[in-house]
Amino acid sequence: MNLFKITLRTLLERKAWVVALLCIGALPFLLPILVPSEFALGLIEPARAQAAWVLLWLVTTFWLFGQAARQGDQNVKSGLGTYFHSMGKGSVRQLVEVWLAHAAVLVPLVLVAILVCCLGASPSGNVGSWVLTNLQYGVLFLVVVLPLLMLATALGSRFGPLIGYLFTAGITFYGLYGVGYLEVATKVESNGLIRLLYAISPQYHLADLTEQLVFQMGHLKSSLFLNILIYLGGLSLITSAGSFLAYRTTAKA
Amino acid sequence: MKIPSHTHPETSEISLSSGLSIGYDKGLAEVRGDISLGQGTHYLLGRNGRGKTTLFRTLCGMIQPLAGDFRIEGNCRFISEDLVFDQELKAPAILKSLLPKESAKEALEFAEKLELDLTKPFGKLSTGNKRKVNLLLAEFGFKNDGSDIIFLDEPFTGLDAPTRQAFIDRWATETNNVVRVVSAHPDFDEMPVPSALIISDGVLNHQESEDMSWGQLRQFLN
Repeated sequence: MNLFKITLRTLLERKAWVVALLCIGALPFLLPILVPSEFALGLIEPARAQAAWVLLWLVTTFWLFGQAARQGDQNVKSGLGTYFHSMGKGSVRQLVEVWLAHAAVLVPLVLVAILVCCLGASPSGNVGSWVLTNLQYGVLFLVVVLPLLMLATALGSRFGPLIGYLFTAGITFYGLYGVGYLEVATKVESNGLIRLLYAISPQYHLADLTEQLVFQMGHLKSSLFLNILIYLGGLSLITSAGSFLAYRTTAKA
Repeated sequence: MKIPSHTHPETSEISLSSGLSIGYDKGLAEVRGDISLGQGTHYLLGRNGRGKTTLFRTLCGMIQPLAGDFRIEGNCRFISEDLVFDQELKAPAILKSLLPKESAKEALEFAEKLELDLTKPFGKLSTGNKRKVNLLLAEFGFKNDGSDIIFLDEPFTGLDAPTRQAFIDRWATETNNVVRVVSAHPDFDEMPVPSALIISDGVLNHQESEDMSWGQLRQFLN
């Protein structure tokens, strides 16, 4: 696990995780009081929950994907991938170790978001459902984001950090927001190509339960949650498989 | 073409069979006559672009030989000439991440003797000091059970003479149960080279003699 250790140490040494932690842990408490809310005091808690999860998405997409792509590129260019390769550590194991280091940074951030929601934004009644919704959100978020971290590292190692980052961030935003526009397009006109594109698009918005929290709609029914989990889990498997194929440990001679 | 065999015996050894050819699209060097490298230090000599790094990459299984076969018995490690670490990591963090706890402690003690600044981030170290970090990783990463094989690609570039001597002394005394292949461009004729792999005119051959020095071998390079 030496590659995991040095990658995690690198991420921690860069100190940007402090900013990420403050964004998710402190900004949800600060942002709602910066806007005038004296006419709608009841909106503060939902706004806090929304801020925590939206900031988690933003921090992950704008920072952690970038770090993952950079690390993939750096391992190839620095010769570290070659060093581990020479010791018999193949590309799959190297990718898993780099990915685990990023996961070790991401998971605590998810827990902080859940804590902020449970301790600082919980409604007065039906607390159990509120906690369960947050836990469901956390699980779905991780199922979507963890394989994307792997993808960013793999693409970074093969095509450089910019492409690794832009592709991963792009596909995340497309899956969260772009497919919504595509869905509208499928309803407006019966174009087979658009329907096909919609069908094969990653429906990452299914993992976004922010509205569920803001409007206090309660947790997802277990059957629905399981269906979403299976669908996103399948997508994750495809993303991970693609990442293993794309990852490389050494530069081309 | 045969796949290299990597086994983990108690005594490490490298065997290159006659006819082994290394290179990428075209051959860079070919072995003439079987070569066996046992524990100890073997210098790999050759002019730039003759295939020294390619030989290392082949023996570590990163690229396939063009023809022939070889056998590696032991645990390989390759310290590439361009191995660098994250600019913000300091040497202690690097060594503690990559070495077992006790070895990292010993490496840091040795680093003090080499006058390596342990408080500076890797990115701010001079070329020579960066090379010291790589050599410490190489030297203290051994299992020390007789199964170690290490390939060092031009480790002396940028190093001052006392540091170079400190490592050569350590090789001779404390880690002499290792198969160590070192590519180098020696800079003084008296440097003892008791075992040399020489790549010249596309041929890789092995010469050994207790009293051989760089000055005697230089004439063979082309």
